[in-house]
Amino acid sequence: MPAETHVGGSPLGPDEVLAIIRERLAEILEIDDAIVTLDATFADDLDADSLALIELVEALEEELGERTVGFTIDDDDLAELKTVRDAVDYVVARLAGASS
Amino acid sequence: MSTRVTVAVDAMGGDRAPGEIVAGALQAVDELGVGVLLVGREEDVTPLLPAGGATDGVEVVDAREIVTMHDEPATAARTKKDSSLVRAARAVREGHAQAMVGAGNTGATMAAALLKMGRIRGIARPAIAVPIPVPHGDRPQLLIDGGSTVDCAPEWLAQFARMGREYARTRLGVDEPSVGLLSNGEEPGKGDELRKEVYPLLEKIEGFTGNVEGRDLMHGTVDVIVTDGFTGNVALKSLEGALRAAVALVFGVLDSTPEAREASKVITPLLLAAAAEIDPDTTGGAALLGIDGVCVISHGASSARAIVNAIGVAAECVDTEVVGRLKEAIHAG
Repeated sequence: MPAETHVGGSPLGPDEVLAIIRERLAEILEIDDAIVTLDATFADDLDADSLALIELVEALEEELGERTVGFTIDDDDLAELKTVRDAVDYVVARLAGASS
Repeated sequence: MSTRVTVAVDAMGGDRAPGEIVAGALQAVDELGVGVLLVGREEDVTPLLPAGGATDGVEVVDAREIVTMHDEPATAARTKKDSSLVRAARAVREGHAQAMVGAGNTGATMAAALLKMGRIRGIARPAIAVPIPVPHGDRPQLLIDGGSTVDCAPEWLAQFARMGREYARTRLGVDEPSVGLLSNGEEPGKGDELRKEVYPLLEKIEGFTGNVEGRDLMHGTVDVIVTDGFTGNVALKSLEGALRAAVALVFGVLDSTPEAREASKVITPLLLAAAAEIDPDTTGGAALLGIDGVCVISHGASSARAIVNAIGVAAECVDTEVVGRLKEAIHAG
């Protein structure tokens, strides 16, 4: 991998990404992070609306962008992310894409 | 006013940017003793400074992109990271300024402030507190929300009421501000589903006096008028349109006959002085409440005078620690 794309160590795996999403989402929604499970749906289980997801995306880009240069999340993809698992898989794939 | 307050100004936002924005910022430095960060394209901003260069209290921050009135707010705030708007919000978050002022795309300003500065814990959505002039009154009314959050849940309106009440205390100096819910009738049962659902929540808030109607705007019936951002913005624009029509009517009459034209020589200066009391440019900018930082929104057609007033409001919000007081009020329930 190009040295300049990774400024914070090796690419993050699913567990680490889940931990980051869980922490950020709990902050944004002001909920207990234990509720943020992989199978939780954003709309029904977490009551996260479109603005909350945009806040999440912004927070993830800022945090993960510091580790992986070029990491971004496309707003058009947000509609496809229904569950926390969808988000974790998406972010892991984007991180891999940014680092390749 | 403290000279240590620095206000980041989106120099490229507004119908009359950057000329009027920069002129207003320069006046604010002279008149209010604040410092300003003028955020925008350096080649557009710097030539507007005296002698085209360094000015005490003024720093130009180069930002290459511009958020337009046609941009989708959240997308613009997220993707135009090198825009004057987003860079101004970042300047506050990073401590280079203590407040920001914008006269551009209102939704994008709200989104940029929200994403860069964050929300006050316990507040689901920010709201714009618009000062409404009250002719012959000793203070303006506050309309909250003036257009920040269009679709609202009942709980959010209750949060707007709490924030509006604390803001009225801090900024307007009202010890016990009264609160009304904007509806289509004064009786408790009047209104759409949102109004009916929020009414019992507002009854738990100190100072709530019940429903008010559109005709209570500018009449000082209550200190804080609570509504959703959609209705609030429609009410504001209706007021603006009605006032313009009234002005056109009066000046039409004063120009209608030779006698009226003669009389207008005496009356017109008096009318203009009275009109200044309700001119949006002189009544100050509107604070975006619920953000974990100070953001003041000025109207799109802002003149230099409007920008001076908006910067003044921003600096006062910093000096009076509005954000800290809102946090305390929200946490106290």
